[in-house]
Amino acid sequence: MVLKLCKVIRLLGLSAGVICLLLLTASFSWAGDDNQPPGDRQVEVYEIQAEESLTDPEDNAWEEEDWDEEWEDSSTIADPLEPLNRFFFHFNDKLYFWVLKPVATVYSGFFPEELQIAFRNFFDNLRTPARAVNSLLQGNARDSSEEVARFALNSTLGIFGFGDFARDILGLRSSYEDFGQTLAYYGAGGGFYINWPFLGPSNFRDSLGMLGDAYLHPIILLDADWGVVIGAWTFEKVNYTALTLGDYELFTETALDPYAAVKDAYQQYRNGLIENR
Amino acid sequence: MCKYFLQNKSVFLLPLVILIVFNLNSGAFASASKDPMEQLQQSVDEILQILQSDELKRPEKKDERKQLILNAVNKMFNFREMARSSLGQSWNTLKPEEQDEFVGLFTSLVEQRYIGKIDSYTDQKVIYTKKLVKGSKAMIYTAIVDKDLEIPIIYRLEENDGKWLIYDLKIENVSLIVNYRRDFDSIIRKEQFAGLVEKITKQLEKTETSN
Repeated sequence: MVLKLCKVIRLLGLSAGVICLLLLTASFSWAGDDNQPPGDRQVEVYEIQAEESLTDPEDNAWEEEDWDEEWEDSSTIADPLEPLNRFFFHFNDKLYFWVLKPVATVYSGFFPEELQIAFRNFFDNLRTPARAVNSLLQGNARDSSEEVARFALNSTLGIFGFGDFARDILGLRSSYEDFGQTLAYYGAGGGFYINWPFLGPSNFRDSLGMLGDAYLHPIILLDADWGVVIGAWTFEKVNYTALTLGDYELFTETALDPYAAVKDAYQQYRNGLIENR
Repeated sequence: MCKYFLQNKSVFLLPLVILIVFNLNSGAFASASKDPMEQLQQSVDEILQILQSDELKRPEKKDERKQLILNAVNKMFNFREMARSSLGQSWNTLKPEEQDEFVGLFTSLVEQRYIGKIDSYTDQKVIYTKKLVKGSKAMIYTAIVDKDLEIPIIYRLEENDGKWLIYDLKIENVSLIVNYRRDFDSIIRKEQFAGLVEKITKQLEKTETSN
């Protein structure tokens, strides 16, 4: 009884904190910036950025040395758990071919692509509160307020997030910040590589990040049953697989050591997100 | 006599015509090669045209379509340079004929990974967002809109004899060269170069038969 009360209070406190943060960031203005009207976006970006990049010294930050030395950069991620990681890589691989792929193939026969995209938007929208908080933690009030605006608009006008109204009409794009990136912002290294069963490639820092972001996920904030959480997660995974059928096979079948290739791809992908603030 | 003169004149004119045509041609070529973004766009448009052609989508044209795509891709990439940088230090320890063999294998491997992907593309839009040029090197930022998502692709090009050739591409920040380098490293460390060649050959055979 007391335990349950404690849990409720903790959750209330968490929700209150999140709502305060959201309100705080919402008060920053995000309108009136250089957001392109979505219709003209492509051409505009093409011209402006093409022009800018030639004159703006900041954009020319990369130096000639980088080109040659980049190949030499051998900061491979530490992998003390390699035997275990390889075991779970194999496990996930089998899971994909024996369960996930057949299910997703049948699933995509029932649901048209438009619906799959709508579901993806829905799940993506649920991650927006965590993104807003992480942008703020990284000192980016503008991105944070954009995430708040995205969440508010897409949850209402976008009908529970099924449509990406904020992007399509206002040109507001997500910055995809997560807690792993926030930790990196404050200087945390990736730590060692972890290939989780079911969850796939990660590292020590990003695993902590996943845990942190989970606390800001509406489904956890609403204290849903574990069955519901796992069901929702599975559905999201199947939906995502249906939208990317074929990608995984193509990558692993054209790699010589798929484990090493996936490990490196994860590291490069994460580093790209961290550098891209 | 008159006939002879005419013939003679044409003989005289022919080199001139060739010269003019050649000059015009090289002039057009030089102006087209100035801008890496325009050149990339041209090549990508060429591939998109092949992909979108209904005529080529018919099952009996499957091989022709693939060959056309391969030809277009081969014109865009500097596969030798890519093979060299994907091997790193090991490249210099190889004999010239081993290098040639490896370039061939590497080319097939990359073709498999990316043509397999390209092949499933139909009406995706390509957006060009930014270009950076420094001397003979350039980075072109693009994105492909696939199923309502923008996937960023960065091409790195180098100018060779007035033509910009791709020597690396980053899809969602994952560099093709760096990725293959780590992949190859993991094999070379255990099984040396011979093991690597064997693995690639096997891999290519496997996908060949499954297709």
